[in-house]
Amino acid sequence: MSRIPGIRRFFRVERDSAGVERAVDDELQFHFDMTMRELMANGMNPDDARREADRRFGDATKTRERLATIDRSRVGSERRAEWWSAFAQDFRYALRGLRLKPGFAIAIVLTLGLGIGANAAMFGIVDRLLFRPPNFLIAPDRATRLYTARTFRGKENESSWIGYRRYLDLKEGTTSFDAMTPFYSHNLAVGAGDGTKEMKVGISAADLWKMFDVKPVIGRFFTADEDVPPDGSRVAVLSYAFWQTQFGGRPSAIGTMIDIGPAKYTIIGVAPEGFNGFSPDPLVAFVPISAQASAAGMGDPKTPWHSTYNMTWFESFARRKPGVTAEAATADLSRAMRLSYKKQLEVNPKGTPMALAKPRALAGPVLADRGPKAGNDAKVATWLVGVAAMVLLIACANVANLLLARALKRRREIAVRIALGVSRGRLLMQLATESLLLAFLGGVAGLAIAQWGGTLMRRTLLDQANDGPSAFTDPRLLGFAALLAIVAGLLTGLVPALQTGRTDVAAALKSGSREGTVHRSRIRAGLLIGQAALSVVLLVGAGLFLRSLVNVQNVRMGYDADRLMWISLNLRGVKSDSVHNVQLRQQLLERAAQIPGVEHAARALTVPFWSSWEFTLFVAGIDSVSKLGEFTLQAATPGFFETMGTRILRGRSFTAEDREHSPLVMVAGESMAKKIWPGRDALGQCVKVGADTMPCTTVIGIAEDVRRGSMSETEMHYYMPISQFHSSDGGLFVRTRGPAADKTDAVRRALQALMPGVSYVNVTPMSTIIAPQIRSWKVGAIMFAVFGALALVLAAIGLYSVIAYNVTQRTHEMGVRVALGAQSRDVMQLIVREGLRIVIPGVGLGTAISLVAGRWVAPLLFNVSPKDPPVMVAVVTTLVGVAIFASWVPARRAARVDPNEALRAD
Amino acid sequence: MAAVDLDLLQGTLDLLILKTLTWGPRHGYAVASWIRETTNQRLQIEEGALYTALHRMEKRGWLESEWGLSENNRKAKYYQLTTAGRKQLRAKTALWTEYAGCVFKVLQTV
Repeated sequence: MSRIPGIRRFFRVERDSAGVERAVDDELQFHFDMTMRELMANGMNPDDARREADRRFGDATKTRERLATIDRSRVGSERRAEWWSAFAQDFRYALRGLRLKPGFAIAIVLTLGLGIGANAAMFGIVDRLLFRPPNFLIAPDRATRLYTARTFRGKENESSWIGYRRYLDLKEGTTSFDAMTPFYSHNLAVGAGDGTKEMKVGISAADLWKMFDVKPVIGRFFTADEDVPPDGSRVAVLSYAFWQTQFGGRPSAIGTMIDIGPAKYTIIGVAPEGFNGFSPDPLVAFVPISAQASAAGMGDPKTPWHSTYNMTWFESFARRKPGVTAEAATADLSRAMRLSYKKQLEVNPKGTPMALAKPRALAGPVLADRGPKAGNDAKVATWLVGVAAMVLLIACANVANLLLARALKRRREIAVRIALGVSRGRLLMQLATESLLLAFLGGVAGLAIAQWGGTLMRRTLLDQANDGPSAFTDPRLLGFAALLAIVAGLLTGLVPALQTGRTDVAAALKSGSREGTVHRSRIRAGLLIGQAALSVVLLVGAGLFLRSLVNVQNVRMGYDADRLMWISLNLRGVKSDSVHNVQLRQQLLERAAQIPGVEHAARALTVPFWSSWEFTLFVAGIDSVSKLGEFTLQAATPGFFETMGTRILRGRSFTAEDREHSPLVMVAGESMAKKIWPGRDALGQCVKVGADTMPCTTVIGIAEDVRRGSMSETEMHYYMPISQFHSSDGGLFVRTRGPAADKTDAVRRALQALMPGVSYVNVTPMSTIIAPQIRSWKVGAIMFAVFGALALVLAAIGLYSVIAYNVTQRTHEMGVRVALGAQSRDVMQLIVREGLRIVIPGVGLGTAISLVAGRWVAPLLFNVSPKDPPVMVAVVTTLVGVAIFASWVPARRAARVDPNEALRAD
Repeated sequence: MAAVDLDLLQGTLDLLILKTLTWGPRHGYAVASWIRETTNQRLQIEEGALYTALHRMEKRGWLESEWGLSENNRKAKYYQLTTAGRKQLRAKTALWTEYAGCVFKVLQTV
């Protein structure tokens, strides 16, 4: 503007709204004054002149408003343009700065990347468990997972698993819902011949399609008419992915037949890509529940699957009508549940009476881990989110420290710029741009780390083959990472920016490089104390979970999990006939025992953690045995105890002599024996199994306790010969010489040869069955350890850089000390003590936080106190050791200061 | 002398203002008097419209303004052409000349 020749710049153009209006008024006032002056100079009297000026101008009020509007909009766009150009300038400046110091930039980007990546990865997992509704779900806030609850032996038991009869009662007895469907996914053999594989199939009613905003890609979905008990139509809707891989995406797939489990289904449609119903895992097909239940032959002729209350095998989902609150729906459901329970008591009068059972039902959140039966995984994951947040905080502290160190070096530069008239606001903007740019790059690195780490974690820790959504395309994850990057950018930019805001220009310009560093070190030391405290917390967590993992892996299960595998049969296409079934299992048993590497094999009815069986027991002199607790049973062939590795403590195990018509015998578990016959010998006692009228079953042996429902406690358990139990069900346990997981293929091949027709065997190592039980400790231990190590390394680097910086600043002082006769040992001690002065308060703070936070983490631990002394001592020692090491390196440098050089410099 | 009421064609006022400013920066009053004098007071321009045009062209970036001191030492807002403004002037002059020529030709035909 100074280009306007001959005009000096006297007045600043106002930038705000009032200023704009004032400027317009000034301009118009000048115009009127000039007009009047001219007119009066030509001889007009003032009144006429005013009238003439008004006439020439037109509507002044309107014009004034119009001008102000135009100017306001102009000023606004000018200001925006200026802001952008300033931003572009800052951006280029920041970029140039980073290019000049690539090592510094890479260190910061990687540090932030690790922090953001850890958080993004955890967010991906927790989002899936706790926040993200199933794809396509209509009105997720009104969708609910149903729970029923009953009180049993004084303990209320909530469960989302129900049976068909109960589901019908709830569906027909309520008015709060506009859709309700059973849903569960089940591993079924899909396909025929060599291509047969067990895959997850979704099983539901037709209301499933009402609850999701989905249309078939081709064909159609099944309808309510096709889902009528006892025999639904055998029709299947394929998942998009399965249609693509197995049918090449050909429309001709419609109308063809497909083997799913024991039956053949007609393919009627294909669901859209990414649709998995309520299942968190990918499914291959969706079939009506009535078709699947009848094909699987569920229930028995007297109590078919759709009319019995005694089977529970699926979960139910519903959608509340608009305007119905969750509380109202829960009340409605509970009413229906009570009526349903009343009907159940009519069928089965011996059940727990209504007054004791207190049946109720609950419209819970659709995501299982937000409901009353949240799993351990979600709890551990939530904790890990906190851990990841701490790692990010530590990373931010480190980056802030690095930026601060640089800001100190740039003190004079900044002071010069302020002295030259650059506004402090402008300088702050520039610093903020720089840290936001770094944070943005850190965010990108973080996404890459989250993508890679998340995949690694799913593969190795969660045993999930399916990859989650790509970190780079999932909008929720992208948004989260962007948010973190901005927060990190602001946090890390804050400290150096405050520093700049405080710069005392005169002092900075006058002083040499040595002065004015003391209080700044204090900020950096404060950051380090925080870092050390957080590291302690994370390492204590790692220690506690690690000890839990060790404890849970060393716990005596009562059987040798590593050397066992479970063989179950799928007899599809084989006519059900108990004599034949027993024969087939006997053949398999004989064959299994001959396989090289197999030590023992035995038939058994149930599998730890997968299934259990219970009977009412009657013992002379005890009113109600069931009041003493839950007693589960295993039925097995002789050789079972040798196979499992379960020790017989006293008496004997059953033999081939304990056959169908010989006297009934059982082996009792130790805790059962103690419970029923306290202080007495259980051997030889009589138990009536199932009914009071049964003949005596004699206790012939006492076995050690086993864990089969929970890792943390043993069960009251007993064993009967399978021949006396009259069961043709169950499968085989096989004991191998080495780890069972290595031998599954050999065993499968050998046994499959005996299977008739399209029937087949499933072989599962016991370790696979137990893996989900110990997974949360494994995940916790590994993640805490990884994050804790990360935190420790970051803290060590931070401490090192601060001490090293201080040593450089105090070279002169060290020189003086050495010149005055200080030994190098004295100098080193001085520096190391300085490091410890920073770290020890941090360690104290961290230990205090750990002790307080331990209360909440205690339920997730296994046989470890959250105040476990060895863990605490180990962590404190580690941190102090690391602190000594991190300050020892610069201390050595300080000790080698040559007083001659140090005193001459500066 | 009957005055021509310049209910001007769209853009003609802009053209006149741009032309006026080719002789250097002026304030709004000077622009108005210059147009009046040059046309021997035959062209009656409503001055409110003139100021509106000035501000609008400033917003479009054809003009820029600065506060300065007038001949009689008063604070006044001076306008001057920008590069974009000069370009506009050239384009508009060409357009207007052609337009006037066409109209004139039509009127000349008997």
